[in-house]
Amino acid sequence: MALVGIVVTFAGFVLAAASVGITSSTTGRLGMVVVGIVVSLIGILGVLNPAYQKNAVWKK
Amino acid sequence: MEIKETMRIMKKVLLAFSFIWCLTLAGVAHAQAPAAAPEPAAAPPPAAAPAAAAAPMMITDADIKGVAVPKPEEKAAGDPAGTITGTAADIPVGDAKKGLAISDVVSAVGQNLIATNFVWTLVTGFLVMFMQAGFAIVETGLARAKNSNHTMMMNFMVYGVGMLAYWIIGFAIQEGGVGAGANLGGTAPLSSEYAITLFGKSWGLFGQKGVMLGGATYDVGVMVMFLFQMVFMDTALTIVTGTAAERWKYSAFIISSFIMGAFTYPLFANWAWGGGWLATLGGSYGLGHGYADFAGSGVVHSVGGVTALAMAILIGPRIGKFRRDGTPNAIPGHDIVIVLLGCFILAFGWFGFNPGSTLGAAANGNLRISSVAVNTMLAGMAGSFSAMYYMWLRYGKPDASMTGNGLLAGLVAITAPSGFVNPMASVIIGLVAGVLCALSVEFVERKLKLDDVVGAISVHGTNGIWGVISVGLFADGKSNYGGAWNGVAGSVTGLFYGDMGQLVAQLIGVATLIGFVFTFSFVINMILEAVWGQRVTAKVELEGLDIPEMGAYGYPEFVLKPEPVYEK
Repeated sequence: MALVGIVVTFAGFVLAAASVGITSSTTGRLGMVVVGIVVSLIGILGVLNPAYQKNAVWKK
Repeated sequence: MEIKETMRIMKKVLLAFSFIWCLTLAGVAHAQAPAAAPEPAAAPPPAAAPAAAAAPMMITDADIKGVAVPKPEEKAAGDPAGTITGTAADIPVGDAKKGLAISDVVSAVGQNLIATNFVWTLVTGFLVMFMQAGFAIVETGLARAKNSNHTMMMNFMVYGVGMLAYWIIGFAIQEGGVGAGANLGGTAPLSSEYAITLFGKSWGLFGQKGVMLGGATYDVGVMVMFLFQMVFMDTALTIVTGTAAERWKYSAFIISSFIMGAFTYPLFANWAWGGGWLATLGGSYGLGHGYADFAGSGVVHSVGGVTALAMAILIGPRIGKFRRDGTPNAIPGHDIVIVLLGCFILAFGWFGFNPGSTLGAAANGNLRISSVAVNTMLAGMAGSFSAMYYMWLRYGKPDASMTGNGLLAGLVAITAPSGFVNPMASVIIGLVAGVLCALSVEFVERKLKLDDVVGAISVHGTNGIWGVISVGLFADGKSNYGGAWNGVAGSVTGLFYGDMGQLVAQLIGVATLIGFVFTFSFVINMILEAVWGQRVTAKVELEGLDIPEMGAYGYPEFVLKPEPVYEK
């Protein structure tokens, strides 16, 4: 799952950076960048961190 | 006769000063001229211009020969009033036989302009260097006494390790393609940026000149740039040590910090400050003035903050930080007095961090350093107030460490916008930052179950991002640094002043910090964890890292309390 988290996090960045080439509308770019940020946050907070928390020292 | 002669000399002095002033203005105007502002092609001369105004008087070398200089006997008698020190006699003469010439005077003007900017940038760089001391005692004070030597040593050596990495390769990656900067008299040897073409535009990825400051980069302007940028880089590195304190293996810290100083930080800094793709989002895609980060809320603090987040996930919490049900235990630091002293030192150093980021005090709109300094102090104040009141209202006491972190949060948040916003916006940014810091600390600890010893993820990561976004909201379009920013004419203007494109550019910067810098840092440290190991053993951690890792206690004559039994 950690690897999935890394991929999802990076995908959010790719989406945001690609927004400038996909559309020339400022609003469209804004929407894509916000979605990209949310995807990256999901990758870190929703996938990667929980994957590491499974083996957290305080659970042992 | 004597009066007439005096009048004649005074007239020549006035003429000489007017001429020099005009020359200075002409030079500045040339440097500031935005690319898209050509003069009208056929402006006819005014038909009835007065004859006196039509023929400007030219001064020659002969005219300045008569400029009065103090006599040697006057100088020998001393100058308590300071009226005969710093005169035409102090201007270096190119040709002793010829005496003082116009070319000497003009050269002196140029030298003085660049010297002013050199001194300003170097001295502010020295202030930023001293911030290392502030970070060191904040982090050590928030750690337990049994780890004080280890925590202090990490903060002490991150300076040297980071500098070594940055000198070898980091500076070249960051600034190797930045090109000539007017304020420092030109850093022209930094002339090569590796770029790829994407979506029909050039995307600068990393610089290629300046490895070990060799070759043509052995240049006075480049040296100023290196010193100033180096201390910024070290600030980012020292953020991570605060989060991972009390359990980070010292050898792993050295390797991790070296990689961060060599690659992680310089890459993002190149994209934002070194002429890379984030900086050119304005020119290439019409997004405001491109990613604008005046002094580094994103480049320095968020890079440190997201790397700290990666480390916190990887390395795990300290033993005893969380109970079996996941609720956190408080592990207080050993010296709140030095924590708050460290915050003061950091606030002092921030007067180098933000105002120094003009890279000059003279010409090109740099007099705005006063505004930058005031914005900095106001936001810090606002951050400490809002954090203190938040804690007071929520927990009944004005928590000291959170108040200190609130001050730092305000300073972190104002770092990016300090050069583009007005004082009212600075206070708002600081007020938000203080509360945001407290909320973020709670979120990181209670929801994410991450152990951040000093609150660096919240202070630097969360509020660094808030600072980057706030440029896109509050930049008032009143700043003018040479007529353009990131190659786009005009002033940086945020959403509240009419430019949504700037906000989009800032958010792309945020996405890069969260999506790229985090991932890069995480993967690097994950590999390091696999091949070297990042965390000390449980036995070492319980004993304290000072003896096992460093060989000596931080406070050998103190009787340390035994490890408390944390609630399970």
